[in-house]
Amino acid sequence: MLPLLPAIVELRLKRDAQPLNVIQQHAGEIRHFANGFRKVAVELQIPLRECIATGTSAAGKLPDGDEYLVLGRADNEPWMRGGKPLAICRVVVAAGIDVVLPDEMTFVKEIYAAGQLTGGKGSTYRAILGDQDVHLQRASKVTRWAHAVGAFRAEHDCDLYGRASSDQEIDLQSGCIFQRLNAPRISFGHPTAAVDRVKSVASDAIGDLPSSPAPIARTLHDENVDIPPGAVIPGSIVTRGKLRIGAGARVLGSAKSDKAMTVDAGAYVEGSLISSGTMHIGRNCRVGGPVVAEHGMVVDSGTQCGAIRTPTTVSAPTIEIEEGALVFGTLWARDEGRVVPKA
Amino acid sequence: MIYCLFAIVALISIYTGRHYGFTLNRLFGFQRHPYIDIDTAEWPDVTVLVAAHNEEKVITNILAALMAVNYPQEKMLVVPVNDRSTDRTREIIDKFSDEHPGRIRAFHRESGKGGKAAALKDAMQMVETEVILIFDADYIPGRGLIKQLVAPFFDPEVGGVMGRVVPLNVGTNLLTRLLDLERSGGYQVDQQARMNLRLVPQHGGTVAGVRRSALLEIGGWNDNSLTEDTDLTFRLLLAGWKTVYQNRSECYEEVPETWPVRIKQIMRWAKGHNQALVAYGFHLLFGKHRATPRERIDGVLLLGVYAMAPLTLIGWFLALALFYAGTAPLHGVIALLAFTAYAATGNFAAFFEIAAAARLDYTRQRICLLPFLVLGFGVSIFSVSRAVISQLMAPLTGAQFHWDKTERFRTTP
Repeated sequence: MLPLLPAIVELRLKRDAQPLNVIQQHAGEIRHFANGFRKVAVELQIPLRECIATGTSAAGKLPDGDEYLVLGRADNEPWMRGGKPLAICRVVVAAGIDVVLPDEMTFVKEIYAAGQLTGGKGSTYRAILGDQDVHLQRASKVTRWAHAVGAFRAEHDCDLYGRASSDQEIDLQSGCIFQRLNAPRISFGHPTAAVDRVKSVASDAIGDLPSSPAPIARTLHDENVDIPPGAVIPGSIVTRGKLRIGAGARVLGSAKSDKAMTVDAGAYVEGSLISSGTMHIGRNCRVGGPVVAEHGMVVDSGTQCGAIRTPTTVSAPTIEIEEGALVFGTLWARDEGRVVPKA
Repeated sequence: MIYCLFAIVALISIYTGRHYGFTLNRLFGFQRHPYIDIDTAEWPDVTVLVAAHNEEKVITNILAALMAVNYPQEKMLVVPVNDRSTDRTREIIDKFSDEHPGRIRAFHRESGKGGKAAALKDAMQMVETEVILIFDADYIPGRGLIKQLVAPFFDPEVGGVMGRVVPLNVGTNLLTRLLDLERSGGYQVDQQARMNLRLVPQHGGTVAGVRRSALLEIGGWNDNSLTEDTDLTFRLLLAGWKTVYQNRSECYEEVPETWPVRIKQIMRWAKGHNQALVAYGFHLLFGKHRATPRERIDGVLLLGVYAMAPLTLIGWFLALALFYAGTAPLHGVIALLAFTAYAATGNFAAFFEIAAAARLDYTRQRICLLPFLVLGFGVSIFSVSRAVISQLMAPLTGAQFHWDKTERFRTTP
C-alpha cells in the first residue's frame, strides 16, 4: 500500500486536478502586452492632461503600487539628479508631449508616449507604447516589447528582444537584432519617408500576390530538384531532397523541400515557401505566401515577402535579412534575427 | 510454444524501445513546430464541420466558442453535422444558425448509414473550401485555434493536421484523472515525437483538419471504418500526403466519466485500428507508394498497437504455462515481459512517457497518480483483447460492426 499512498492522497485532496491551462483568449497576439499596458495609459490620462495644460511634470502611484512620472513638458529636468544625469529610471514614464529621452539610460518600467518618442543612444527599455512614431537611436535595447501606433524605427545596432510591432511600419537598420516583428510594412535600412507613407503603401499594393492554399496541382519528387532559370511551374512542387528555384523562375503554386532550399535572384513564388532545412532567398525575389524554414533563413536585398493587401509571415529559428528587403506582416525569428548591411 | 513466446517478447521489446525513443526525443531532441509561428497570412476560406449526434449537453459550448474565434468571419463557415439526433441538438443548432446568419449553415441528416464517417461523407456536399476542419461536439476551441490548424495547409505537402486534445473534466473521478494522464503522454510525448522524427503523427478526427483535394484524391471518407481518423491517416500517407501534429494547438475535450463508457470507446478504437491494420498494414510495409522507410516502419507499429493487447495476454499465458511445464529456464524472458508490459499496450503510453509528459506540461502533483494506471492498464488490456476476439469471431457469428457514440456528461451548457 505504501507506494499507493501519494496516489491516494492526491486522489482525495485533488491538489493538481485542474485542466491543463490552455491559452484560450489572447492566442499569441503580438500586441497582447501593449494592449494590457494601454489600460495603465488610460488611467494616466487625467494627470497627463493636467501636466500638458500646466507644462509641468508630476509623480504618483498606480493602483498596483508602481510609481509613475508624467511629463507635460520637454526638457531634461526629470532625468537629472543634483545636476548629474540619471543612469536608471525606476518608474513608469508617461509623456503627453513629443519626448526625447536621454542617452545611456536604463528604463526598468514601461514607457507610454502620447506624442512622438525619440530614444537616446545606447539606452535600454523594458517596454514602450507609443501613440505616434517611436524612434530608437543607435545601440538601444528593448528587453520585452515595443508597440507604435505610428512608425517604429530603430537605428543601427539596436537589440529588440521579444516583440516589436507597429500599426503602420517598422524599419530596422543594419546591426539590429530582433525576434518577433509585426507591421503592415517591415523594411530594412530604407524607411518610407513619413510624408510619402500613404503613397508608398498604395504603390506596394500593386501586384499583390494570392497566397491561399487553393486546390492547385502539385508534383512530388523524391530527389533533389533544380528548377531552371526562367522556367514556369504551373502548380506546387514538393521534394524530399534539396530544391533550387532558378533565377527568374516562376512558381504559380507553393514550393516545399525536405532539405535545403535556394531561391535564386528574381524568382517569383505566388504561394508559400516551406523548407524543413535551411533557406536562402536571393535578391529581388517575390513571395506571396508564408515563408518558413525550420533551420535558418537568409533573405537578400530587394526581396519582398507578402504585399500590403496580402500580408504574410516569414519565420525561422534564425533569420539573416539584408538591408533593402521588405516584409509585409510578421517576421519571426524564434532564436535570433539580424539585419545585415547590403553586400 | 517457446518460440511463440520469444516472438511476442521481441515484439513487446520493440514497442518498449519505441516508447523510450519517443520519450528521450521529447526530453532532449530537436522539437519541430514549423507552422505555429504563421500568425499573419492571407487566410483561406475554411469549413468547420462539427460532428453531432445527440449532443444537446455540449453543442452550445462549441458553437459559441467557434463564433468567438479570431479567424476572419467572412472566410469561415461552420457546418454542424447533425446526424439523426433525437434530442434537442437540432433545435439548438437552428437557433444558433438564426442568430449568426451566414456564419453557420446546419446540415441535418435524418437517415442513412450510422457513424461519424458516414455523416461527414454526406456533409461534404456542403463543403466548397479547400481546407476543412473537424471537431467533435464536446470540444471547446480557443480563440486562436482555427488559424493554428489552418496554417499548416500553406505547406503543399500537408494533407492532414492534428491538434492537441486536453481533457476539461479532469477532476471528476479516478477515471478522468487517469485519462488526463494518458492523453498527456499520448499527445505531449507520442504525437510530438512522431512529428519531430518525421514519422506518422496520427490524425485524430477532431481538433483536426484535412485538405479537400487530398481527401478527394484518396476517395473521401471511408464510412466502413469505425475510426475514420486512423483510416484517413494511412490513406493520406500512402498517397504522399503528410499529416502533421501541432502540439501547441490545444483544445479542451470531455473525457468519459464512467468505466462502461470508456470500455465502449476503447473497444471501438481497437476495432477501427485493427480494421486499418488489416487494410493497410502489409501494403504500407511492402507496397509501392510514397511513404519513406521510417514512415513505413512507424506506421505499421502504430497500426499494431491494439493488436499488442491480446498478444501480451497470450505472452503471459505462454510464460506461465512453460514455467509450470518446466520447459526451460524462462526467468529472463518473464522478467523482460514484466518490464515491458506496461509499455506495450494499446492506446496508452508507458509510465515513463506519462511522467515525461507531466514534466513537459509543468504539472506536479498529478504524477502521484501514476501507480493507479495499473487499473487503467488492466481494464484496457482486457477490453482491447475482447474487441480483438469479437472482431476475429465476427465472420463466424455474423456480427456487424456498428458505431457507438461516446456518451457526454457535461451538465452546464
